[in-house]
Amino acid sequence: MSDLRPILLVEDNPRDLELTLTALEKCQIANDIVVARDGAEALDFLNQDGAFATREPGDPAVVLLDLKLPKVDGLEVLAKVKGDRNLRHIPIVMLTSSREEQDLVNSYELGVNAFVVKPVEFSQFFKAIQDLGVFWALLNEPPPKARQRGGS
Amino acid sequence: MHANDVDLDSCAREPIHVPGSVQPHGALLVLDPADLRILQVSANVADIAGTDAAGIAAVLSSELAAWKASGSLPARLVAPGYPLDIAVHLHDGRVIVELERAASEAMDDPFARLTAFAQQMAGNIDLGDALSAAARLIVQLSNFDRALVYRFDADWNGHVVAEAGNGTLPSYLDLRFPAGDIPAQARDLYRLNPLRLIPDADYTLVPLLALDEEQGRAPVDMTFTQIRSVSPVHLEYMRNMGTLSSMSISILIDGRLWGLLACHSRQPHIVPVRVRDACNFIAQSLAMQIGAASRAQTAAIGVELGRLHTKLLASMADAERWDDGLANAPDTLLAITRASGAAILSQNGFSRVGDAPDEEAVRRLTQWLSENGIASDVYATDCLAAAGFYDRTVTETACGILACRISESDDNWLVWFRPEVIRTVTWGGDPHKVVRESGRIHPRKSFEAWRESVRDRSAPWHEAEIGAAHDLRASIVEIVLKKAEQLARLAADLQKSNKELEAFSYSISHDLRAPFRHIVGFSQLLTEREKNLDERSRHYLKMISDSALAAGELVDDLLTFSHLGRATLATGKVDMNKLVEEVRLGLAEDIKDRAIEWRVGDLPMTRGDGALLRQVWHNMIENAVKYTRPRAPARIDISGETVDGGLLYRVQDNGVGFDMAYKAKLFGVFQRLQRSEDFEGTGIGLALVKRIVERHGGSVDATGTVDGGACFTFFLPVLPEE
Repeated sequence: MSDLRPILLVEDNPRDLELTLTALEKCQIANDIVVARDGAEALDFLNQDGAFATREPGDPAVVLLDLKLPKVDGLEVLAKVKGDRNLRHIPIVMLTSSREEQDLVNSYELGVNAFVVKPVEFSQFFKAIQDLGVFWALLNEPPPKARQRGGS
Repeated sequence: MHANDVDLDSCAREPIHVPGSVQPHGALLVLDPADLRILQVSANVADIAGTDAAGIAAVLSSELAAWKASGSLPARLVAPGYPLDIAVHLHDGRVIVELERAASEAMDDPFARLTAFAQQMAGNIDLGDALSAAARLIVQLSNFDRALVYRFDADWNGHVVAEAGNGTLPSYLDLRFPAGDIPAQARDLYRLNPLRLIPDADYTLVPLLALDEEQGRAPVDMTFTQIRSVSPVHLEYMRNMGTLSSMSISILIDGRLWGLLACHSRQPHIVPVRVRDACNFIAQSLAMQIGAASRAQTAAIGVELGRLHTKLLASMADAERWDDGLANAPDTLLAITRASGAAILSQNGFSRVGDAPDEEAVRRLTQWLSENGIASDVYATDCLAAAGFYDRTVTETACGILACRISESDDNWLVWFRPEVIRTVTWGGDPHKVVRESGRIHPRKSFEAWRESVRDRSAPWHEAEIGAAHDLRASIVEIVLKKAEQLARLAADLQKSNKELEAFSYSISHDLRAPFRHIVGFSQLLTEREKNLDERSRHYLKMISDSALAAGELVDDLLTFSHLGRATLATGKVDMNKLVEEVRLGLAEDIKDRAIEWRVGDLPMTRGDGALLRQVWHNMIENAVKYTRPRAPARIDISGETVDGGLLYRVQDNGVGFDMAYKAKLFGVFQRLQRSEDFEGTGIGLALVKRIVERHGGSVDATGTVDGGACFTFFLPVLPEE
């Protein structure tokens, strides 16, 4: 597992970003964390476009995607990724403050892989991030074709 | 429809304007307007004029030429040397000259009496007095035995409303005569030619003779002549009445035949032209008086109806709904059509004022009206039975109705009612009696008074009252439309504000929760990082974190609460025993150190939204657990039973209870009866219970005493299976 693929964290709120990064750091996940601050940036990364045009090729192990984002919001990013033949295998975990049922329904309809409402209690939040990281970054086996893409 | 309409039908077909003959008291010359050549003459010209037709035409030739040159309007001519009253008019392409012998004896100049009469009319005179005065003056001037003022009703039946006479003939005052007595084409002639004289009903008619081979044979239209020979049926009628002479003068109001001034004598009686002109003047003065009185009355009624209409409008404006507005002003509603009762059918239900049939009867009536397509907007009848509606439950209350259909789509109605008025009508003879004689129908031979009781009829609806109904209907329609518009606007506003509220709570969900999460997160990170913090600093950090946590919970609860208002219920069969068991399992961790005696009865199944009902049980049981914390052992009883109309569930505890004085606050949002340092909580739990139960159509209740425990119940109605 020397070619640990990065985790793409899409988060606009700097405090949430710090907390999430701290949580990921605390659970000792070795994957690189790439941060995108809005939906457009996230799509650029995934499509190797814009500021990310010259990045190392390869898909992230998982995208941790906040729902409310500037420019292109989380649901739009989700829809674009899941509607793209080349990208749709990338696991997307919706991380959100929202307890709105409609958001949940929409996300699942668009093909989200998991939906996590960020708990207010930090220890719970920490545990949630840890579980997510371990599952999606370490345990989850991507489909073969994607691994080739990622490895090339 | 009156049965006697049919009876004189044949009479109504008689072409009475072209009789081809004249009465013997006058003679007729028919001339060609182009060259004043004589076309036809009555056989009695020499008898009347003392010279033959050519002779009199020669005498008149210069006057006729001048008359023709000045426009050929009806005029009187003078034949020098001949004591004749001569009238000429142009009609139907013929010049028609009528000759009558001038009055031989000197007569009073009627001018002074006419002036007095005109002054009397101009004064403030009662209509009845005016009619009587006219009849009296006509008798005086004309020397007829009797003069009647004969008024037509809406169906053209005649009613004698005033009378004067010398006592020779019987009084006909207040008698009624069926419409057929004066058939339609006779009424047409009365309208066109206001005066008609029959000096002797036993006259021998004088035929017209043709003097011109080509044009002389065409029938002469005598509509505008005075000496036209009349229908033999009419002469028979006069003989039946015992009158051998008659004169009638039309009373026209706004072009409509209002009635007649009818004069009769037992014996033949001739009235000279000058007297006839005077009588005609009287009739025209009377017509003006009647017209003015009727216009004044219409205006007065209009003002009064307008006042009532305004009152009803105000009442409707005050009320939420038009039907309430009308029902709130019962006297005005009845007064505007002078009805004895009214009923209102609207989508809000049924209401009635005064003497009106019950709801079912009114519904049958309106159904009948719509099925028969009778009422497009306003319909009036004074006899439902005659109109074809036979329903004793309606007609025993009301024989006449005035119905307004407010809206076709919603089947909204306003119906006024009038009770039966048993009227006794006195006819001049049996109006239903027909006399047949060898295929020909003759008028009644008897003029003995014949009384008839009119049943199943109300007082008739006045035109002004029907007009008022039209106006009121228009106003109601406008109000209904306006209200509908208002409602639509309100609904749109509500929808908008609901959308805004949704956006607001969505935004709270995202943006308000986040900072609380950050506070908790960073204060806990700080706690972990600084191992050497003193006790007090750790306490402060815990306070910060707890407060933020509590605020976060509050936001979550509020969102759940507001969400409940709009979420649809996922209704299904719900096993309450299972829900209670799940809730108790969920709480097990929190109460493992507590001594609680549970008593859970067998709970009846219900229908409802399982997830929401679990929330109800959760909040109620959690409350019971919380408020029994000072008790060891705590006792919590959970039970349920079937009651009238639904199911009643109960959670009873021996906890700290509450003061019943504050019971009203128990189920309100953010209402807490305990200090928060004693018992934690957001103050939303019971409000949520109440909202969920009410969304199921149920209700909540609680009883308690301070330190004596509390009992919370909720009732769920039996929901229909889908």
